[in-house]
Amino acid sequence: MFRKILIANRGEIAVRVGRACREMGIRTVAVYSEVDRHALHVRCADEAYLIGPPPATESYLVIDKIIDVAKQSGAEAIHPGYGFLAENPLFAERCEKENIKLIGPSAHSMRTMGSKTLARKTVQAAGVPIVPGTVEPIATEEEVLRISNKIGFPVMLKATAGGGGKGLRLVKTEGDLHSSLRMAKSEAKSAFSDDSVYIEKYIENPRHVEIQILGDQHGNYVHLCERECSIQRRHQKVVEESPSVIITPGIRAAMGKVAIEAARAARYEGAGTCEFLVDKDRNFFFLEMNTRLQVEHPVTEMVTGVDIVKEQIRIAAGERLSLRQEEVKQTGHAIECRVYAEDPDNNFLPCPGLITSLRTPGGPGVRDDSGVFEGFEIPIYYDPIISKLVVWGKDREEAVARMKRALNEYVVTGVKTTIPFHIRVMNNRHFLEGNFDTNFIDKVFFPEERERELPHFEVAVIAAAVQLYLGERKRAIAQRPVGTGEPVSMWKYSGRPGMPKIL
Amino acid sequence: MNYIATIGEREIKVTVEEVGVARYVVTGDGKGHLVDAHQVQDSVWSILYGTNSFEVDVQRRGDDYEVLIDGDCYKFTLMNEQLKALSRAGGKAAAGKALVTSPMPGKVVKLLVAEGEEVKSDQGVIVVEAMKMENELKSAVAGKVKEIFVKEGEVVESGAKLLLVE
Repeated sequence: MFRKILIANRGEIAVRVGRACREMGIRTVAVYSEVDRHALHVRCADEAYLIGPPPATESYLVIDKIIDVAKQSGAEAIHPGYGFLAENPLFAERCEKENIKLIGPSAHSMRTMGSKTLARKTVQAAGVPIVPGTVEPIATEEEVLRISNKIGFPVMLKATAGGGGKGLRLVKTEGDLHSSLRMAKSEAKSAFSDDSVYIEKYIENPRHVEIQILGDQHGNYVHLCERECSIQRRHQKVVEESPSVIITPGIRAAMGKVAIEAARAARYEGAGTCEFLVDKDRNFFFLEMNTRLQVEHPVTEMVTGVDIVKEQIRIAAGERLSLRQEEVKQTGHAIECRVYAEDPDNNFLPCPGLITSLRTPGGPGVRDDSGVFEGFEIPIYYDPIISKLVVWGKDREEAVARMKRALNEYVVTGVKTTIPFHIRVMNNRHFLEGNFDTNFIDKVFFPEERERELPHFEVAVIAAAVQLYLGERKRAIAQRPVGTGEPVSMWKYSGRPGMPKIL
Repeated sequence: MNYIATIGEREIKVTVEEVGVARYVVTGDGKGHLVDAHQVQDSVWSILYGTNSFEVDVQRRGDDYEVLIDGDCYKFTLMNEQLKALSRAGGKAAAGKALVTSPMPGKVVKLLVAEGEEVKSDQGVIVVEAMKMENELKSAVAGKVKEIFVKEGEVVESGAKLLLVE
């Protein structure tokens, strides 16, 4: 087993990985940029190294600097977390060359799954159902038209190098094809310097369901069941849960089996996730494989009892998987809400800044994977995630009630957060019924919210009026001319800490 | 003390009278209520309204309030009755002039206009980036760009003056 691990990340995920290391008796090495000296991941680590200025391109993304710290500190392995260098094959190759173990898959696996078309081709050959379309980039507009007509409009044009919703175009009819193709190509060119695109059939109102897998270096694989991630805004997941209300034991087993086949086809090692789209008839199609630890991994940990980060570390150290497929049990129900420093009542505008006070939720079945503390200033340079609030309940009903309760306990002041948004989602009738798809937030939730009557206007105005009244009174006292105020005994001040003694 | 709350189109007169330590009688719409209010954590208040307990986060920007209760956001303006009367009298002078400020700390990515340029109301004038997201800020009024206070690449605080349209 490793004695020392470098964590090449920051924020909540660096803290999460550090926790696993500590519990395993492994020393941790943190890296930090100039704005992160006070950050929680630095405070929690055994060693910490400054790696440069605040912009990630000059610190957390610089391969040379990370490798230097690994050598200097004598770390035998690097955990990349998610984001930053986590899915960068160049980084994986460099680690191999320097004889430092990267906790994650090989550069080969990353490349296979990183190219959308190569991934489609690879998993299709392994018998995994993919969204109908092409497995090669398409050269000409005539070919795009021919294939689109064959699979039927609407279709999606997608950048081969794609990600983050860039280079993505929905084409509803043949007439839109020309301009959409041009836009998809130019967007792909500027985002990924690669303008190749491919075609997929557009699945209407799909649900997003993914399978967590683990694979060791000895060719053993297990899947840890599914996570439902259909609650998204701007193509970004915000609420995740396990199990999914639409997945039956039969579908679960079938999805798990093909996810393992996909991983095997890429000679995958470590923790990974196969994302699927599920249509309204519950047909599932492979979308892509994420070759890293996912943000939402705690949901799976809560229902299976498996510590995914510890498994990653053991796998990287060459150990065999600690459990067999028949030992994987999904118990109860878990939900995660991602708490971001964003203003949900102002179009999710980012709200970096100082956390002036904080009360985190507790009680039965609650887990808060946080990267902040009271007095921490959230920098403007990185992802605005504050924490991931995760709850477990014996069934979905209890989990939702518990999440609502925990969200109500969660108080963050100084910055706006998405906590109020999550409370409203937990109260939404369609969410409670499990009746939603990836368009839910934009097409159903927000229109309904605009119509909803708010129950406590009176209390809101009263609280504001009392605050304003006290503010005015305080100002009036401060502005009072000297001598007219009530006399204050000097004895009152002397002896108080921080006050000069009156001699 | 008398205040005017404006909720959408509706105006409500609210009176606050202190009747004890942290206890107030608040009258709104002609009905008086005994309220026990304690500021417990920065902007968060514990309000006992009758015997019902509420935790209320009161955010204020000038006269604009955003109050959070149980995940719901209540937006309204609240002003001292006398000040409101004053501002009504002087309000016209301020019209037609608008300062664009940064709603969050971030970096100025791009200026979309130059000094002296004519802009329309609701036209994007500047792009500020925070946390990897670019946000286009708009001019609230139509007019000429009188002054630009920042340069591209500059890091700005929340509330920083960006430019003035007149």
